[in-house]
Amino acid sequence: MTAILIIAPLVLAALAIMLVGEEHFKTVKYIAFGASIVTLLFAILLYQTPPGIETYSWFSIAGLSFNITTSTETLNMLLMMLVSVMTPLIFLYSMGYLETPSEQRRFYFEMCLFAASMLLFSISAGFISLFIAWEMLGVTSYLLIGFWYKREHAATAARKAITTILIGDIAMLVAIVLIGVHYHSFDFATLMSQYQNTSFLYLPLLLILIAAFTKSAQFPFHEWLSDAMEGPTPVSAFLHSSTMVKAGVFLIMVLFPLYSQTGLLPVILIVGIISAAIGASNALASRHIKKILAYSTIEDLALMFIGIGLGALYATILLFFVQSFYKALLFMGSGAIMKANEDEEDIFKTYNSSKNRKLYVALLFGVLSIAGVFPFSGFFGKALLGSAASSNLPVYIMLVIIELAGGIYIFRWLFIPLRNMNEKEETVYINYNSIPPTMIAPMYILAILILLASFSYIYFPTFLLPIVKNVQQITWPEVLFVNGTAIVGLLVANYVYRQGHRFYMASKHKNLFNALNNSAIINRAYVAIAAAFMYTARAISRFDSGVDKFTYSFSEAFIESGHSIKGLVNGQVNTYLLAFIAGFIILVIAFAL
Amino acid sequence: MIEPFPFIGLLLFSLAAGIVVTMISEETHSRRVGIIFSGFAMLIAFYMLYLGVTSGSINVSESYPYYIPTFGIQFLFQLTPVSFLLAFMATIVAFVTILAGNIDREEERIATSLILLFEFAAIGLFASSNLFLFFIFWDIGVIALFFMIYLLGSANRRRAAMKFIIYEIFASLLLLFGIILIYFYTPVHSFNINYIATNAYSIPGNMQTLIFLLFFVAFLTNMPVFPMHLWLPEAHTEASTQGSMLLSGILTKFGGYGMVLLFTMLPIGQAYSVYVAALATVSAFYISFMLMVQNDIKRIIAYTTIVEMSIILFGICAVNTVGTAGAAYAMLAHGFAIALLFLTAGSIKHIFAERDIRLLRGIVSNATSTAYVLLTGVLATTGIPLTAAFIGDILIFIGAVQAFSIYGAIPLVTIIMFGAYLYYVLNKSVFSAKEETSPVDYIGMPQKVGYAILLFFIFLFGLLPFVVLNFFNV
Repeated sequence: MTAILIIAPLVLAALAIMLVGEEHFKTVKYIAFGASIVTLLFAILLYQTPPGIETYSWFSIAGLSFNITTSTETLNMLLMMLVSVMTPLIFLYSMGYLETPSEQRRFYFEMCLFAASMLLFSISAGFISLFIAWEMLGVTSYLLIGFWYKREHAATAARKAITTILIGDIAMLVAIVLIGVHYHSFDFATLMSQYQNTSFLYLPLLLILIAAFTKSAQFPFHEWLSDAMEGPTPVSAFLHSSTMVKAGVFLIMVLFPLYSQTGLLPVILIVGIISAAIGASNALASRHIKKILAYSTIEDLALMFIGIGLGALYATILLFFVQSFYKALLFMGSGAIMKANEDEEDIFKTYNSSKNRKLYVALLFGVLSIAGVFPFSGFFGKALLGSAASSNLPVYIMLVIIELAGGIYIFRWLFIPLRNMNEKEETVYINYNSIPPTMIAPMYILAILILLASFSYIYFPTFLLPIVKNVQQITWPEVLFVNGTAIVGLLVANYVYRQGHRFYMASKHKNLFNALNNSAIINRAYVAIAAAFMYTARAISRFDSGVDKFTYSFSEAFIESGHSIKGLVNGQVNTYLLAFIAGFIILVIAFAL
Repeated sequence: MIEPFPFIGLLLFSLAAGIVVTMISEETHSRRVGIIFSGFAMLIAFYMLYLGVTSGSINVSESYPYYIPTFGIQFLFQLTPVSFLLAFMATIVAFVTILAGNIDREEERIATSLILLFEFAAIGLFASSNLFLFFIFWDIGVIALFFMIYLLGSANRRRAAMKFIIYEIFASLLLLFGIILIYFYTPVHSFNINYIATNAYSIPGNMQTLIFLLFFVAFLTNMPVFPMHLWLPEAHTEASTQGSMLLSGILTKFGGYGMVLLFTMLPIGQAYSVYVAALATVSAFYISFMLMVQNDIKRIIAYTTIVEMSIILFGICAVNTVGTAGAAYAMLAHGFAIALLFLTAGSIKHIFAERDIRLLRGIVSNATSTAYVLLTGVLATTGIPLTAAFIGDILIFIGAVQAFSIYGAIPLVTIIMFGAYLYYVLNKSVFSAKEETSPVDYIGMPQKVGYAILLFFIFLFGLLPFVVLNFFNV
C-alpha cells in the first residue's frame, strides 16, 4: 500500500481549486470537503493494512541519497487518523463560517495545502520528507494567519509567526545537514539503529528541540501563537490547536529514544513547566475570547512536553490524542459565539451564550473535558500525567497549580459570555439564530469523539506497548486531584464571574493581574532583540558607506592629481627646455655618482 | 569527442544573427525579433537537456577549425554539468528578460540587441573550454551590461555605470594577468582548461598562489562578495529592470562559474579553502546586516544576491562533489528566483511609480498577481523546500559540513536574518491595507507570462532535482 498517496486527494483538490474560475466560488467548498472525505476513507483503508516503511528515492548525489521515507507505524497512524478525521469537520464548519464569495477559493486552496502537508508530516519517517512537510506547514500557516490581511494586525501576526518559525526551520536544517553528513542517511530508522555516538547527537537533537519549540509555541518562542488568532476561526481550530502546533511534540515523541539517551529530557521538562505556567497565567488574564484558548493551547502543549520530559511517553501520547477534540471544539464554539456577537473578540462584550442551547451543550462537553472531569477524555490525559509526575514532588506541585489555573480560566471562559446583557450597555445586536447548522454539527461530532476518546485509556495500551515500554495506571489520588482542580476552578470562576466579584478582585489585585498578563514582557524582549540587530545593521551600514566614500575619494584624488599635473603641460617651449636641461643635469650627476 | 550536431555553435551563431537582425529591424518589431531568437536559443537548450536526460550525462564538446597555432588558441567548446546548468538558466532568463522585462517599452531595439549580445557572451563564456575565449566572452558580457546601465538606466545611471565598469575592468585586468601567467607556467603553453587542470600541479607553489589570488579577486569582484560588493547595489538601483535581471541573474554567475573553474583547476585552492570559507561567512553576515537597513525594494533584492553569492562561494570552496553540485544548483535556482524578484520589482515600480517600501502599502489589493509572485519569490529565496533554492542550499551545506565539519553550517544563520527582513517588507508593503498606494498603471500579459515561466522553472527544479543532479554522479 503506497502510504504517500494519502496526500494526493487534497493536493489534487488544491490544484483544482486554483484552476477553477472565480465564478465557481460556490463549488470550491464541496471540492475541498469531498477530497477530505476521500482522504478519510483512504486513511481507514491504510489503517487496516499492516504497518511498514516505504522508501522512495528523490535524488542522490555522491553516494548520499535523499529519500522520501514514509511509515505507517503506530504513532504515524495515530496522527494521520487524527488529521484525516479533523479535516472534514473543519471544512464542514468553514462552510457555515466563511461566507464572503471572494475569499472562498483562497481559503480552501490554502487549507487543502495545509492538510496535505500535515498528512505528509504525519507519515514521514525521514528527515527530507519531514522537512518538506515542516516548511509547508509554516508557509500555509503564514498565509492562513494573514488571511484577512486587511485587518489591522493580521499581516503583522503572520509575520511574527513565520519569523519565529524560521528560526526553528534553520535550526532544523542545520540538524538535518549534520545528521546527513554523519550517518549518510536521513531516515529515522538508521538514526535509531546506530545512535551509540550520543555525544555527536547532542547538538543536532538540541537544534531539533529548538525547532520543535518554535513550532509548538513553547517558551521563549511562544508569543506568535496568541497573535495567530487574527486568522479565521477554522484556522485556529485546525492549525493552531489541534494539528500543526502539535508537530513539534510529535517529532520529539518519534525521536524519544534518542532524547532519553542523550540526557536532554530535563531541558524539555523545564521548558515545558515554564511554558505551562506562562500559558495558564496569560489565559487567566486575557480578555480575547480566542487568545484565552490560544494560551490554553500553549499550556496543553507544554503539558505534553512535561510528559516527555518525565519520560512518560504513554501519558503524552494519550494527551496528544484527546487534546485535539476538545480544543477544536472550544475554538469552534468561540467562533460561533463571535459570529452571534457581531464578530466581537473581547470576551467581556459577548453575552447570552446560553440562548442557543445546542451551542451551549456542545461547549459544555469541551469545557468539562479540558477541565478534566470524569468521564470526559481530558481527564484521562491529565490524570495519567499526574501519576507520571507523582514521584517528582516539585513538578507535581507545579502541575497542581497549573491545573488549578486551568480549571479557573476555562470556567471563566465559559461563564463570561453566559451573562445576560445589561440593558444600559446594549450596543451590539446579538443573534444566536444566525449560527448555521454546519457550524454546530461538527461540534457535536467532536463532542461524541471526546466521549469515545475516553476508551483510548483502555484500548491504547494494547498497541502502544511496543513504543512506550511501560504503561502507567491512573491511581485514586489522581482521580481526586484532577477532578478536584476542576471543581475548585468551577467554584472560583463561579464566585468571581457569576456572583459579580470581578471588579472587586481586579481592583484589589492589580499587581497579581499584571504578573499574570506577562505577554507584553516577552513581546518587549522580542522587540529589543530586533532593535539590537537593527542597531548593528545601522552601524555596519555607516561603515560601509564610509568605505564607499573612501574609494570614491581615491578616484577624486586621481582626478585632482591629473589637474595638478595638467599645469606643467602649458605649451611654453622654454618651460619644456628648462625641464629638459634640469633632467639632463640630474641624469649626468646620477651617472657620475 | 565531437557530438554529431554542433549545438553550441548553433546557439552562438543564431544569437549573433539575432543581434544583427534586431539592430536592423524597426523599433516596433525589435522585441518580437528578440523573442524569436532568444526563444530559439531556449529551445536548443531544452533539446540539449532532453538529450542529456535520455543519455544520462552532459558531455558536449565541439571544436572548430579556426585557431591561432602560435599561442595554441583554438575554438574549443565544452559543457560540463556546472556550465550546462548555467547556460541553460541563462537562455531562459534572457528570454524572459526580453519578453517581460521592458515594462515601459522604452528603447526596445537597443535594449533587445544588448540583451542578445549579453546572452551570446554568457553562453560563450559558460561553454568555452579555453581561458582565452573565456576572457573574450567575459569582456563582451561586461561591456554589454555596461551599456545596458549607461543607456537605459534611471537618473544617476552614468555614475553607477562608471562605477560598475571600473570594478569590472579591474577584475578583468587581474583575470588577464592571471591567464597570461598560467599560460607561461604550464609545461606546454596552453589556454585549455582541461589541460591546465591536469597539469597545474607542475606550476611552482608561489606562482600558483599568485595566480590563485589574481583569479580569486577577479571573480570575487564579479560575484560580488564582500569586500568587493560596493558596485552592485548602486548598479541595481540605477539599472533598468532588464539590466537588473541580467546583472543579478546571469552576470554574477560569471564569477561563480569562474570560482568553480578556479578551484577545480588549481590544486593550491584546497589550501586556501578555509580562508575563502571564512571570507564568505563574513560576507554573508555583513551583507545580511546591510540588507536590514535598505528601503529601496531593488536595493533589498540586490543585497540578497550578495548574500546568496556568498553562500554559493561557501559551497564552492568546500571543494567536493556535493558542495560544487550544490553551488551550481544554487546558482541555477538563484538565477530564476532573482530574475523573478527583479521582474516583480519592475512591475511594482511600473504599477505604483514607487519603489520605496516606506511609501508602498497594500500592493496585494491593487496588484494581486504581482504580490503573490513576490511572496513566492521571497519564499524561493529563503530556500523553502519544493523550490530549487532548497536543493542548492542543502547540498551546499552538506558539502560544507563535510569539508569544515560543524562550522560549515554557520552561514545558514544569515537566512534567518535576511528572511526576517524580507518578511517584514512583505508585511509592510504587500500585505497591509491601511492607506493603500493607488496604482497609476497596470502590467500586461507579457509580465504574467514571464512570471509563469520563471515560477515553472523554480518549482520544476525544486520538485525534480534528479533530472540534472544525475549529471554530477557520472
